Amino acid sequence: MRMKKVVAALLASAMVVTSLAGCGAKEASGGDVVEIKWMFWDDLEATDDLISKGYAQVIERFNQQYEGKYHVTPITTNLEEYDTKLNALIAAGDCPDVYICNPGPNLTTYVEGGAAADLTDILTNQEKDWYGNFTEGIFERMTYDGKIYAVPTNFAAALVFYNTEIFEAAGAEVPTTYDEWLAACQKIQDAGYTPISCSAGTAWCLSMIAGYLCDRAGGPDNLKNANEGTGNMWNDPSFINAGEKLVTLSQYFQSTAAGDSNDQATAAFYNGEAAMLVQGSWAIGQINGANPDFESKCGVFSFPAIEGGADPNRMIVKTDNLVMSSTTKNQDACIALMKCFTDETAQKYTAEVGGKIPVIDVKYDESKAPAQLGYVMDILSKSTGTFGFYNESLASVEAGDCFDNAMVDLFLGSVTPEEAFATVQKFYEENVYNK
Amino acid sequence: MDKIFRDKKAIAIFIAPGILLFTLILLVPICQAVYYSLCDWNALTKPNFIGLGNYIKLFTNDDTMLTALKNSLFFMVFSAVTQQILGLLLAALLTNIKKGRNFFKNVYYLPNVLSSAALGLLWSFLFNPRMGINQVLALFNVEGPLWLMDTKGFIILPMWVIAFVAMWQYTGSTMMLYMAQITGISNSLYEASYIDGASKWQSFLHITLPLIKPMVATTLSLNCIGSLKFFDLVYNMTQGGPNHRSDVLATHLYNEGFQYFKYGYASAIGIVLLILCLIVTFLVNRFVKVEDYEM
Repeated sequence: MRMKKVVAALLASAMVVTSLAGCGAKEASGGDVVEIKWMFWDDLEATDDLISKGYAQVIERFNQQYEGKYHVTPITTNLEEYDTKLNALIAAGDCPDVYICNPGPNLTTYVEGGAAADLTDILTNQEKDWYGNFTEGIFERMTYDGKIYAVPTNFAAALVFYNTEIFEAAGAEVPTTYDEWLAACQKIQDAGYTPISCSAGTAWCLSMIAGYLCDRAGGPDNLKNANEGTGNMWNDPSFINAGEKLVTLSQYFQSTAAGDSNDQATAAFYNGEAAMLVQGSWAIGQINGANPDFESKCGVFSFPAIEGGADPNRMIVKTDNLVMSSTTKNQDACIALMKCFTDETAQKYTAEVGGKIPVIDVKYDESKAPAQLGYVMDILSKSTGTFGFYNESLASVEAGDCFDNAMVDLFLGSVTPEEAFATVQKFYEENVYNK
Repeated sequence: MDKIFRDKKAIAIFIAPGILLFTLILLVPICQAVYYSLCDWNALTKPNFIGLGNYIKLFTNDDTMLTALKNSLFFMVFSAVTQQILGLLLAALLTNIKKGRNFFKNVYYLPNVLSSAALGLLWSFLFNPRMGINQVLALFNVEGPLWLMDTKGFIILPMWVIAFVAMWQYTGSTMMLYMAQITGISNSLYEASYIDGASKWQSFLHITLPLIKPMVATTLSLNCIGSLKFFDLVYNMTQGGPNHRSDVLATHLYNEGFQYFKYGYASAIGIVLLILCLIVTFLVNRFVKVEDYEM
């Protein structure tokens, strides 16, 4: 019995000592280093995505540059679970110091929930030089009541990519209007190719085309009216027109469009099965990464105009944004990290390797950058205005999904254009206009 | 023994861990969910009490909820019927063969031990128009349907497909339960019936069936509750799409809660699901009368 007690006492003291040792070790390595966390929607080590790889380099560079002063640890998830996990962390009072966020209702949720720090003073007073570097107007979609809540890291625009070889073989011309586009599709189909590769399995891909058609048909006003509950709202004839045009265009999609995922649809394009792909310029990295030979035969044109419609030079654009937690205790470290993401080295990489558009005024080597980026920049320089993804420009994440789903329904032929937009109108009447 | 039962302190000490766990991981969350279901709550700000608002909206103004309810009930009926029949059939057949019984038992039970998420992904590949079944059909010049995207009919094709996969996955567990019950029936009963001139079919009808009745109640409740709260295959094969047409209660709950951060509303769906499960369990136990026989 006594022996047992001795053993127990020994074991207990061993446990206490080792646990204390654990504490000691932690402090020794911690020292004065300020530790912050950054949350991101891709696995930095396993990823193939060139932009994510660039982010991994930024993190490495930051930790080297500020060794002994700051240290950042990335928290990564996959894209689908990102919002859920971030929300759970915020709800538990454990918000990461800096996190990535989509513009639109997603960012609004965090701003309204008080999870995003107001960066206005830091940007416009304390760090004027940094702020001055950014491309003009880029903060527009991150500004709420005149206050800036996020910093962009890169910028992408949506356009039509096309296979120059197929176009030549079919004798098709690059279209500038919707009717020309249909004619080109017909020629390509007659020549035995699939004209357009599109994914309706991933709803936002189809919704991007729908969003473009809505804007080409009715311009910025129809979205403004729809969101604010003025004018004809979602019942506007321009929306119905866009819906009809989507149905007509969709007969030139690949036969498996309804079930294909975004990756499958993109692969069908860079494998030469389909002649055109409507995508954001973020797809450049994916296309050239998966099929390097394709770069030389990949052309780009702006989304065609609708005759009698609105300004055809507006473009869908999207930024990736960094948000600083409103509860972070280490603001300086966070700012240093965000600066690292937007410095010359990182932004050069964004253009030259990632194929996305830099957010600061930076001279990058155009011969190193993907050929398609040059075409994109060219088209972008002629654009008269920009707008966000339709599903990210609506009143809430749910409203965006409602729009996406209505477009998928329309594509599947289960509803008419009138019914599809009436669904969105009904959602707005119940959830947006009355509140 | 009596002495132990008189020692209230001892009883309390022995029961405490169980009660504590049960309360912490079941009762408390359920009560919390009931409270949240009466609130407007996005998890980022404080819950805002709105009374029965969520429930009223759920039943009067939520088309997806109606679809989900319809799909969940379809799923329950389909699973209950097919799994009962197939499970019992397989169990009766397997208990009657001598060679390879263990082999087939393992084969039929195997899908059960695999992860539903992996299986869902696997089957969604098989039903994907670019690979799998449709490619095989194309060899015979047959154009396969859009297995997971079709939207026609009262119960749409994707629901039948998912219900079929669920049947394939879970019939094994029903079979196992029935096998356990059947092997528990004393051989002397069968021998007596054969002496009286009964055929195999007759002995199945008059001995096996009545004696496995207690198991019917158990498997039926398990089938029904399992399919009511079914989530993984649906989420992995269709995500409730196209346009929420293949949503079931659990995926609707997930979307509302974790995609749109309407935790209050999602809690209300959870409570409805809980009540449905309780009703079903009650009905099954009420109508499948269990008599105990000496076996």
